[in-house]
Amino acid sequence: MFIDIDCAQEKKYGQNAYGDCFMSKRDPVKGELIAVLSDGLGSGIKANILASMTATMLLKFVEAGRSIKRTCEVVMNALPVCQVRKISYSTFSVAVCSEDGAVKIVEEGNPQFIYISDGRVIEPEFTVIDSETFKNRHMHIYKLNLKLNDRLIFCSDGVTQAGLGNPELKLGLRRSGLIKCLLERINQDPNVPSNELSNYVVKLAKNTEVDRKAKDDISCCVIHYREPRKALIFTGPPYHMEKDRDYALEFWNSESKKAICGGTTANLISRELNIPVKCDITGSVGKLPAVSKMEGIDLVTEGILTLTRAVDYLENGFKEKEKNAAYELVNFLLTSDCIEFMVGAKLNQAHYDPNLPVEIEIRKNIIKKMAKILEDKYIKKVIVRYI
Amino acid sequence: MSKIQVKICMGTTCFVMGASNLQELIELIPEKYSDSVEVCGVPCLGLCSETKKYSGAPYVKVNDEVVAEATTEKVLKQIERILKNGQE
Repeated sequence: MFIDIDCAQEKKYGQNAYGDCFMSKRDPVKGELIAVLSDGLGSGIKANILASMTATMLLKFVEAGRSIKRTCEVVMNALPVCQVRKISYSTFSVAVCSEDGAVKIVEEGNPQFIYISDGRVIEPEFTVIDSETFKNRHMHIYKLNLKLNDRLIFCSDGVTQAGLGNPELKLGLRRSGLIKCLLERINQDPNVPSNELSNYVVKLAKNTEVDRKAKDDISCCVIHYREPRKALIFTGPPYHMEKDRDYALEFWNSESKKAICGGTTANLISRELNIPVKCDITGSVGKLPAVSKMEGIDLVTEGILTLTRAVDYLENGFKEKEKNAAYELVNFLLTSDCIEFMVGAKLNQAHYDPNLPVEIEIRKNIIKKMAKILEDKYIKKVIVRYI
Repeated sequence: MSKIQVKICMGTTCFVMGASNLQELIELIPEKYSDSVEVCGVPCLGLCSETKKYSGAPYVKVNDEVVAEATTEKVLKQIERILKNGQE
């Protein structure tokens, strides 16, 4: 299963820094994901520092292989108390999720998370550990086994207390109000992606507030177990020409979303599978050849130039005015979870002619660079095969 | 008379060697010859890897004839020549 995670946030009205902190880290080798949400005392910069420190410590400890229970206990016992308000410096939730569905959660002070399975809320059992140093502090430990399409929703008290004082909602949105809206939203669209659902909750909380001004920092983190969205990119002709047909068929028969990056590659697939390819040169923008159309293939672009530009966009963001082929490619990649590259190893000597006005990169190198960025920055699962 | 087919290579080599400038043909040709000429882009004509004279890019095919180091003028000239021959 793939773990789709996202967090949406809103600052307290009038503040210029977030007082909640969300951090997550995926370990593709272990097939594990760590997520931390911490709510710092107060708001603005002070809260931001407290929340960031707590979240960073928790993430680093768990990432280093310490047990989640022990880590949280140490942090719980160590967090100082505010001298003025006599409450703890920050509250937190930590989740360690394995791709097979095993999840460990520890909560201290944050609203209880919501576990939704088959359109219903499940209230799981937990054990309580009291703090050795502070009387009113205790953490809840959960061990769950999630299945496909299950969701976990974590939020800061800015969500559950949204609307406090509103004549219609005297006690605010509360957990029960949030659950009602979540179930409605999921019922409408059972496949709603985590980024949409988390943004929906934040908007809901903000709209519940009097005058739509957030009275506290609002954060919502959604974890969704689902089938991975797979993508397959064929770029460059295979080294052995006699294998063209086999690879073309393998590409065609894959259930993944498909993209071809390269004119020669597009021709090869077109020839082997007898599918015409149409090139639309009127749409060529941003000094890149336009995308082509091929039935059954989601995206067809030119090769090296488009790939090189796509790497630039992945690294530095998209700054052009018009959407070009590289933008389409980046969009194709970022809307996938598992990305496989079939990289043809045949070189086109013409690309290395010193008379060319621009330097054309070696395909292997660009793909290597692209794969690394997709893995490190965008937390995608990437497979590169040379053919 | 069947239409004259103009194919502009949009492959990497041709594109960096100037095929991007040949895109003006897309507007120019229908304006000039209306229905007698059809112009389109192709992902790659594969000519840069076949011929040894790489500096021949960008390539355009007018019917089956290759125009190497193509410019708008060269392509238009070739079209004129075929039209003229066809009329003779």
